[in-house]
Amino acid sequence: MAFTSINFLIFALAAMILYYCVPLNWRWLVLLVASYAFYLISSPKTFVFILATTIVTFFGGKQIGAYNSTYKAYMDEHKKELSSQERKAAKAANQKKKRKIVAIVLIIDFGILAVLKYFRYYLQAMGLFDTGMLLIPLGISFYTFQSAAYIIDLYRSKMDADTNIAKFALFTSFFPQIIQGPIPRHNELAKQLYEGHRFEFNNLTSGAQLFLWGFFKKLIIADRIAIPCAQIFDNYTDYSGGIVFASFVFYTIQIYADFSGGIDIARGVAKCLGINMPLNFMRPYFAESLSEFWRRWHMSLSFWCRDYIFYPIAISKFFGRLGTSLRKTLGNHVGQLFPVIVAQFATFITIGIWHGAEFKYVAYGLYNGTIIVLGLLLEPLFVKWAEKLHINRRSNGWKYFGIVRTFVIVSFGRAFPKAASFSVAVSMIISVFRPGHGPSFADAIMDIGMSDIDYMILIGACIVWFLISLYEEKYFKKNGGDGTESFREMLGNKPATLRWTILLLGFAAVLALGVYGPGYDASAFIYRGF
Amino acid sequence: MRETVLEILEELREDVDFENETKLADDRILSSLDIVSIVGKFNDEFDIEISIEDLEPENFNSVDAMVELITRVQE
Repeated sequence: MAFTSINFLIFALAAMILYYCVPLNWRWLVLLVASYAFYLISSPKTFVFILATTIVTFFGGKQIGAYNSTYKAYMDEHKKELSSQERKAAKAANQKKKRKIVAIVLIIDFGILAVLKYFRYYLQAMGLFDTGMLLIPLGISFYTFQSAAYIIDLYRSKMDADTNIAKFALFTSFFPQIIQGPIPRHNELAKQLYEGHRFEFNNLTSGAQLFLWGFFKKLIIADRIAIPCAQIFDNYTDYSGGIVFASFVFYTIQIYADFSGGIDIARGVAKCLGINMPLNFMRPYFAESLSEFWRRWHMSLSFWCRDYIFYPIAISKFFGRLGTSLRKTLGNHVGQLFPVIVAQFATFITIGIWHGAEFKYVAYGLYNGTIIVLGLLLEPLFVKWAEKLHINRRSNGWKYFGIVRTFVIVSFGRAFPKAASFSVAVSMIISVFRPGHGPSFADAIMDIGMSDIDYMILIGACIVWFLISLYEEKYFKKNGGDGTESFREMLGNKPATLRWTILLLGFAAVLALGVYGPGYDASAFIYRGF
Repeated sequence: MRETVLEILEELREDVDFENETKLADDRILSSLDIVSIVGKFNDEFDIEISIEDLEPENFNSVDAMVELITRVQE
């Protein structure tokens, strides 16, 4: 069922009405029924896989929770009489028991993901499964990573285990997030799902605004710019370097509008139910460096990788010692950074593979990881050059340069996931620097599937988006937090007539200016494919 | 201990007002790279072992939170 279909609107509205009609402590049950109904309607043949991951993770979590409780009770009773060594030994013994459970759960959860998403073609070729069995389950990457975070957080004793499997099933399948995330942590979402929320008009208007904003980005910007983008990517040999680079920029805009639009629709539906889902974007194209970009883009995946891949490697004794021993051969700077370099590559290869099994996705991860690691390694050199050239790296001019540089680096990187293959992506990047051929830039840009009016609508919509983002970014720089609510809060303080006029104009714009192609469905959301 | 912590932090990020900031991690003033560097320096300086379980934003939001973390790990 597509987010942008009338069916989804009716489904979400029915779920909301039912949610607020039943008693407060039954409301989570409405969400569970709605979420499982949504899954069964959208992906009936793969329902068994989300069920398997849920059951395995729940019972594994319950066992770890029991180990945590027993250990805590023992320590509460005996802590004073135990020596430091004995306390360490007790903790280590408990960790060892938990580690076994975590390993089993992660192998099963990631095993299902690996077989269905990554090795499916090989298994199909070997005749081990028929094609019907090999559909990729809806949201498998999202709910698998979410379940893994839950089990690892329990292992790290960060929270208590869920005791009700039906409630846990809701946590892994909540319908607004299942299509394309975000990947919420248990402590961010579960309690909100399980407790009933009273109807509040503010939640409804706030959710509706987010929902509408998502539609604005998806239907007016993403789906419009998708047309020239596909035209150039599919026929890049016909175009000059300038046009090929334009297609990278188009795709950079398309993927952000598409993905963040979908997330806003999901967050909007949740908000109408009184549930705040975590942020996934914080104006990523205002980032001054590539590492900052990754702290602002697909944040729930970036932070997942930070907490479960980057930190464990970067602070590990093993890589620390290896770095120390490498200082003699590679120098102090590299030796010191060694654990971080390994952690960065592991993180970005994971982010790459998260998108798919093909090498172009691994290359996408390596492209980002290599640039960030080179930045770290060359930092002392950059400082020297800046001093020699009298560049103030804290000046506004340098910051603006950083924003443009990051946008260009990100745009080139987009070639890898978007192009048909790794070799096509490399050819496209090379062709940007090739001497001009084909029609001139001015002629070609008007002949790639967009009319003058389309360009005007696209540019107008992007300007609106940019100005709102600029307002939020300025608020963020001044007040901290994340700034994402600041524009809507400012709007909320304006007279009701102005607010409603803007809301209705937005609604009319989506209806009148959105791109509604034939056979349109949610598969058009790029991140659903991941 | 507080002075040493402050020295380490100011040496790492001279652009941050560590005396007054109370949301260093929550407001993403410190990046994950900063956190890793800080942990490495605390481990060396105070001869402790900050573990992965300790890498929670609330432990790195302010100088006082970091002093509290070091004290707790030392115990």
